[in-house]
Amino acid sequence: MSDDGRADAAGPAGPAGPAGPPRRADAVGPQPPARVRVTAPHAGSPGASARPHPHAGREAPTSDIAGVYVRSLIRSQLRLGIVFAVGFAVATALFVLAIALVPQLDTTFVIGVPLSWLLLGAGVYPLAITVGALYVRAASRNEARYRSLVEEE
Amino acid sequence: MNPVIGYTAIIVVALASALIGFYGLRVSRTTSDFYVASRTVRPWWNASAIGGEYLSAASFLGIAGLILLTGSAALWFPIGYTAGYLMLLLFVAAPLRRSGAYTIPDFTEARLESAWARRVTSLLVIVIGWFYIVPQLQGAALTVRITTGLPAWAGSLAVAVIVAVVVAAGGMRSITFVQAFQFWLKLTALAVPVFVVLLVVNGGEPPAQLTPAEAFPAAAGPGDLDVYRTVSLMVALLFGTLGLPHVLVRFYTNPDGVAARRTTVIVLVLLSVFYLFPTAFGFLGRAFAPDLAEPGQSDALILLLPDRLVPGPVGQLLTALVIAGAFAAFLSTSSGLVVSLAGVISQDLLGGSVRGFRIAAVISTFVPLVVALATESTGLAGSVGLVFAFTASTLAPMLILGIWWRGLTARGAVAGMLTGAVLSGAAILGGGALAAWAPGIRPFLEQPAAWTVPLAVLVTVLVSRTDRRGAPRGADAFLTRLHVPEAARHRGTA
Repeated sequence: MSDDGRADAAGPAGPAGPAGPPRRADAVGPQPPARVRVTAPHAGSPGASARPHPHAGREAPTSDIAGVYVRSLIRSQLRLGIVFAVGFAVATALFVLAIALVPQLDTTFVIGVPLSWLLLGAGVYPLAITVGALYVRAASRNEARYRSLVEEE
Repeated sequence: MNPVIGYTAIIVVALASALIGFYGLRVSRTTSDFYVASRTVRPWWNASAIGGEYLSAASFLGIAGLILLTGSAALWFPIGYTAGYLMLLLFVAAPLRRSGAYTIPDFTEARLESAWARRVTSLLVIVIGWFYIVPQLQGAALTVRITTGLPAWAGSLAVAVIVAVVVAAGGMRSITFVQAFQFWLKLTALAVPVFVVLLVVNGGEPPAQLTPAEAFPAAAGPGDLDVYRTVSLMVALLFGTLGLPHVLVRFYTNPDGVAARRTTVIVLVLLSVFYLFPTAFGFLGRAFAPDLAEPGQSDALILLLPDRLVPGPVGQLLTALVIAGAFAAFLSTSSGLVVSLAGVISQDLLGGSVRGFRIAAVISTFVPLVVALATESTGLAGSVGLVFAFTASTLAPMLILGIWWRGLTARGAVAGMLTGAVLSGAAILGGGALAAWAPGIRPFLEQPAAWTVPLAVLVTVLVSRTDRRGAPRGADAFLTRLHVPEAARHRGTA
C-alpha cells in the first residue's frame, strides 16, 4: 500500500528515541554514538532529503484511495480547528457584549471590585479550557475514523 | 524596603536554578539530549515547563502594572496570552510535533525544501528572540533597582550571566526541570501573597485609599471597549503565541501528536489559574496603591504592595517571595529563549556541535543585554505585546499555511514573512513619529496586528499561487506526515 511507503520514507526522521542516533551515526562517521548529531540536516547536505523524501512526493498517488483518505483527514481536521476557533471568538465577543450591555454590573461590587471587572478578568478562561478539551476529543475522533478506514483496506 | 530581603531572594533563586540546571547536566550527554530532552518528557512536566518558560516579566509584573495604569483594557493581555495556546492547540500542536523538526527553521526547510526560506526564518526567529529577551532584562533591572537599591544595569547583567552559564553548561534537559520548577515557584510567589493580603485587608486595616467606585470607574471598565485596539491586540496575542520559538521547541519533547495536544490543554489550565493572581494584584493596586499608577512605576506594583499592606516580618517574607518569583520569571523566559536561539544560531552558523551551541548561547544573551542597557523600559506588558504582533505577522502565517495548505511555496512564504516583518516592524519602530504627524492613524500603528497579519497572509497566498514552480515536490508526503496519527503510521509499516 503506497501510504505505507510514504510513512516509511518519513520514518528515519521520526521520533529519535533509542533507534535514532545509531542510524545517523553511519552518515556522520566513526564518532562515538554518545556525541552523534541528530539535529536537522543542513541545507544541501545529502541527508537533507531524508525528511520529506522527494521521490516519495512524486510517487504520492493523487488518485489512490490512501491519498484520498489522508486529504479528507486533513480537510476535516482543518474544518474542526476553524469551527472551534470561530466558536471561541463568537462566544467571547457575546460574553463581552453582555457585560457591556448590563450597566448594573459596573455598580455591583463583590469584595470591593465591580462584577463587570471580575467577569472579564476570570470568565474567558473556563471558556478557552472547555473549547480546548472538546477539540481534543473531536480531533482524536477524526483520527480514529481515519485509522479504521486505513485498516479496512 | 530592606535591601537584605532583595539580595537574599535573588541569590536563592539564582542558586536554585543553577543547581537544578547542573543536576540535569549529569543526564544530558548527547546532542539530542541537548536540543529536545530526548522527547521523553511527560505531559504534566512538559506543560509546567511550557508555563515556566512562557510566563515572563510581562506576565509576572507587567499585567498587574497595566491593570493599575489603564484599567480593564489590560485584562485582555492575560486572556490573549492564554487563548494563544488554544490557537496553538487547534492549528499547530499535533502536526508540528509530527513534523519531526527540531526548530522552526527546520520545519520551514523540510516543508518548503528551500535553504532560502530557512535562512529568512532563522533570521526572524533570532530577531524575535532578542527583542523578547530585552523586556526580561529590563524587568530584572527594575526589580534590582527597587528591591536592593543597586543600579539598574546590575539586574540585567546578573540575569544575562546566569542564563548564559546555565544554558551553555546544561542544555535543554536540565532546562526542562528548571522551567517546570520555575512555573510552580512563580505561581506560589503570586498566589500566597494574594491570599495573605486579601485576609489582611479584609480585616479593614489598612483601609483602601480609594472607594470602590473611585478605584474602578466605569470609564476604565469593560463597558468602555476600544474595539479596534482590542481586536488587534487579540490577533497579535492569539497568533503571536504560535510563532514563539521557545514555546514551539517544547512541543518536540512530547512523545507524539496526541500527547502534544494533551500537553497544550494542561498548559491552558495552568495559565488560566496563574493569571488570576496578577489580575487580583492589579485590582488590589487600584484600590490600595493608586499613587503607583504612573508609567515606569506601575510595573513595580507587585514588588511593593505586600510590604505596604502586610506589616512586620510576614510582609517582608512575602516581599522576598514575590522578588523570587519575579526573578524566576526573568530567568526562565530568558533561558528558554536563549536555548532556542542558540539552537538556531549553532545549527545555521556553527555546524550544530555541542561547542557551537555553547558559543551561540553566549552570543544570544549578549546582544539583548546591550539593547536592554541602551534603552529604557516603557511598560513590560506593552513591549512584549509588540513582539507578539511582529511574530503574528511573520512566522504565524507561514506556520499555519505550511501545515494546512499544500499550495504554499518557498517564494510565497518568504514574500509573506518579509511583508509582515517590514509592515509590523515599521509600525512598531517608526509608529511614534508617524502618529505625531497624523494622529488619526495612531491606533493602527500602536496595535498593527489587525492589518499586518491579514496582509502577510494575502501576500503569502498570492505569491504562492503565481509561483510557476508550484508547490514543493514533497509537499503531499510532508502533509501526510503532519496529519496522520503515529499509531496509524506504525500499523501501516508493520
